[in-house]
Amino acid sequence: MNKGEKLSAAARREENWGWIMIAPTIIGLAVLNLWPFVQTLYASFCEHLGFGHYKFIGIQNYITMFGNIEFWKATWNTVFFCILTVPVGIALALFVAILLNAKIKFKGGFRTIFFLPLVCAPAAVAMVWRWIFNGEYGILNQMLGANIQWITDPKTAIIAVAIVSIWSSIGYDAVLLLAGLQNISKSYYEAADIDGASKVTQFFHITIPMISPTLFSVLIMRLMASMKVYDLIYMMADETNPALVDMQSLMYLFYRSSFVAGDRGYGSAIVVWTVFLIGAVTVIQFLGQKKWVNYDV
Amino acid sequence: MKKKAPRVTAAVLALTLLLALCGCGASDGKTHLTFQIWDVAQRDGMDAICKAYTAQVNPDVVIDVQVTSWGEYWTKLEAAAESNTMPDIFWMHTDQILYYADFGILDDVTDLYASEDPNYWTEHFSDISIGNASGSDGRMYGVPKDKDNVVLVYNKEMFDAAGVSYPDETWTWDDMADASQKIYDATGKYGYMAYNDEQLGYWNFVYQNGGYILDPETNLHAGYTQPATMDAIKYYVNIQKNDWCPDQNYFAETSPGTAFFSEIGSMFFEGSWNLLSELKNYPNMVGKWDIAPLPACPNPASGDGRATISNGLCYATAANGKNRELVEDVLRFFGSEEGQRIQGESGAAIPAYLGLEDSWTTAFRDFDYLLDVQVCYDQFDTCVQYINNASRRKWKSTVADEMVKIYNGADIDSQLAVMQAIADRYVETE
Amino acid sequence: MKSTASLERSRRITTIITYAVLILGAVIMIFPFVWMILTSSKTVPESMQIPPTIFPAQLILDNFKDAIASLPFGRLYINTALMVFWRVVCAIAFSSMAGYAFAKLHFRGKNLLFAIVLVQMSLPSQIFIIPQYQMVAKLGMANTIFALVFPGIVSAFGTFFLRQTYMGIPTEIGEAAFLDGCNQWQTFYKIMFPLTGTSVAALTIFTAVFAYGDLMWPLVVNSDLDMMTLSSGLSTLKGQFSTNFPVLMAGSLLAMLPMVILYLIFQRQFVEGIAGTGGK
Repeated sequence: MNKGEKLSAAARREENWGWIMIAPTIIGLAVLNLWPFVQTLYASFCEHLGFGHYKFIGIQNYITMFGNIEFWKATWNTVFFCILTVPVGIALALFVAILLNAKIKFKGGFRTIFFLPLVCAPAAVAMVWRWIFNGEYGILNQMLGANIQWITDPKTAIIAVAIVSIWSSIGYDAVLLLAGLQNISKSYYEAADIDGASKVTQFFHITIPMISPTLFSVLIMRLMASMKVYDLIYMMADETNPALVDMQSLMYLFYRSSFVAGDRGYGSAIVVWTVFLIGAVTVIQFLGQKKWVNYDV
Repeated sequence: MKKKAPRVTAAVLALTLLLALCGCGASDGKTHLTFQIWDVAQRDGMDAICKAYTAQVNPDVVIDVQVTSWGEYWTKLEAAAESNTMPDIFWMHTDQILYYADFGILDDVTDLYASEDPNYWTEHFSDISIGNASGSDGRMYGVPKDKDNVVLVYNKEMFDAAGVSYPDETWTWDDMADASQKIYDATGKYGYMAYNDEQLGYWNFVYQNGGYILDPETNLHAGYTQPATMDAIKYYVNIQKNDWCPDQNYFAETSPGTAFFSEIGSMFFEGSWNLLSELKNYPNMVGKWDIAPLPACPNPASGDGRATISNGLCYATAANGKNRELVEDVLRFFGSEEGQRIQGESGAAIPAYLGLEDSWTTAFRDFDYLLDVQVCYDQFDTCVQYINNASRRKWKSTVADEMVKIYNGADIDSQLAVMQAIADRYVETE
Repeated sequence: MKSTASLERSRRITTIITYAVLILGAVIMIFPFVWMILTSSKTVPESMQIPPTIFPAQLILDNFKDAIASLPFGRLYINTALMVFWRVVCAIAFSSMAGYAFAKLHFRGKNLLFAIVLVQMSLPSQIFIIPQYQMVAKLGMANTIFALVFPGIVSAFGTFFLRQTYMGIPTEIGEAAFLDGCNQWQTFYKIMFPLTGTSVAALTIFTAVFAYGDLMWPLVVNSDLDMMTLSSGLSTLKGQFSTNFPVLMAGSLLAMLPMVILYLIFQRQFVEGIAGTGGK
């Protein structure tokens, strides 16, 4: 018996263990997620005749889709929602994290409060915000002395949804970023102070590079969630909302096409487009991270 | 992780939970049928009929009623139809019945009573009820369950405060507008609240004015560009221009019902099926409001100016259901005089069965103030069948989107032309 | 050069501003909850007064009574707890195994199979609802706790997340155990798995919070009122009470209460569990 054979027997055992240990997850994902996605992919090239019967029509759905104003509007809404929630949301979260990182009392208390929305059922959160935003009886307009139709005015509807989204996630992002901030050694700042660097310079030359890995993972997570936004809009807008077209995201348009109008082929094409966008954005992020994310610290 | 004890406890706990996980298999030796509905308010009424079936007809069958909210109901039912796992009995709505029936999903129940009485349907159910339960081929794919119509709900105290007499069968659109103005001037409360809705909104006005949504002859061509239809829709949409009616932004956030029962508005159109739960949900309002017939169009393009949209649901089962024969027996009971009376007396809805309408009054007697429910029964004389045809399912939501644009300020004439084109696109393919 | 006194003063001003901004932020974060509580004990007309009243005229519990009369809250609590429990157990068990294998073991097809995990994370969950519902219906398991747990049996996110954790554990630790005569399973179960405590705790929180908030799936799969979760029950309440906000707020409060109480008790573990997951 030589050593090589023994090793390969061990390697084979390792391989078997590998397969066994991933089996439940992979089988589960294949059945529960991958197969439905393959079906969606196929359906996007078909016309839905009813009750799961499809007729292959080539790229007709995509032609219809790319020629549809409502679709481009939904794409823009999704992008706009991402712009509102990702850069703005993360900037706010970073701001909160920096404040919490200062030498202050009740740090734990503040952290607890900012984190609270995360443990609340989104259905309940959406309801109370709808009530706060209510154009006629909402407390927000009363406090501002304004008369803004937050949820029903095409100009503000998507902003209102973004506010709720940021409100829900800011504490979570801030807690992650705070953990990153706390890992930065004070000595960097002390050295910079001696060199006479301003606080702003310190922020861009020490803080940002040092927390860039955390920032990156928060960014990816938030972006993925925002591209797929659906539940929040579903819960905050009714079918009769005059601003619906101006606030619906791609996934909401998918819901209305597939489930309400029954046009599942077209709905599937929207999903494929959304997944494509998510993939593209993710790839760009991962390529771009080399430029600014610093894993060496 | 070091001691054994916690691990054993965990295992026992897990096992118990696992048992709870599978704790659904009923083992009482009886056949359990599932019955899917979408209206929570009718749950008790449906339960009563099912219990009556078990007690009076077949003690070996137990029927479990399950409620799914409207939005998910159809998603789920279609998915179930595809995988052949439909509930044994389910409600069918006019919006959907043609899609299901024409695709061969539903059991043909035309001959349900053939052996006992070949004319059972026409003797005991109105043409509208039968129409709402029929497929495009004219066969029946459901047992008519109930029938409804739209009534005017008004706040008596606000009428008193403004010194306006209550609405009655002589009322016209003008009277309603006058009363709205007077109430608004006297109390600051809204008058008639006209919001973007088909069945509870502009459809009624269109038919009162002698127009139509679908050509009554063929039921194929849309009528959005018919002058009578256009005038009525314009009238209806423009109601929101009055001070006494909130705009669509308002209604998107506050339903007219909520506004009415918060004593903010004095009138709105309501479906008869909602009245009972409104009495229950707003106990402090009982006695302060009542119902009246829909006001008539004062100068209709044709007809007498009266109309109210009437719809009705039916009970249906799958064409290839596992327990079909048993279920057909249940459906026979649901469509019988007894089954329909139980439904009426429970307050669930007005029975479709002719002559049993006023059994529905029973449920209203439980309240300190008896609503004038006779209005609902009398209005069946001026009813228009709920608007539907085989292609409506495809254009329904697109047309509704275009309607929203009208409320957003788009030109009504051109929007109606767009709606007409969308609906007519499918006529050729029929 | 600034004097010490002026430096001291500017530092104090910074501190005051910091507190002011944080307190303002905290008020914004808390306000919706306060408003929920206040609205829940108003009558409907009271809630729609202009200008609005801040405090209810009197403390009424009718809205809570209405909410409780419409929903079997006891069952909803139990169902939600069972669903969360089982999803957490499944996520930890299967994701730990798969995460370990992807991080530490060599086997053919590893990269391709891991790609499946990554792809799943970018797919919107709405497209799974219908096919998964059909699977559950075929199994005859609709309206059970099993149905609620079903889509959460495996977790792509959990697998990805724990793989990252196992990647961070030095391979030498596993090799040492291996040389001591442990097989791959024993190495994983006895040596490696216990080292991932913080990540498992974080995954527990993620999974629990997500499962608790999940709305569409429970709504579709379990229509029996007694088999609903808090989220789907709340949605049903909305169907029934439309825009009657006081009752909806009362229902929301009842639905949120258990999770909020749990959070307040374990808030340190919650927050620090999440904080420990930053970085990669």
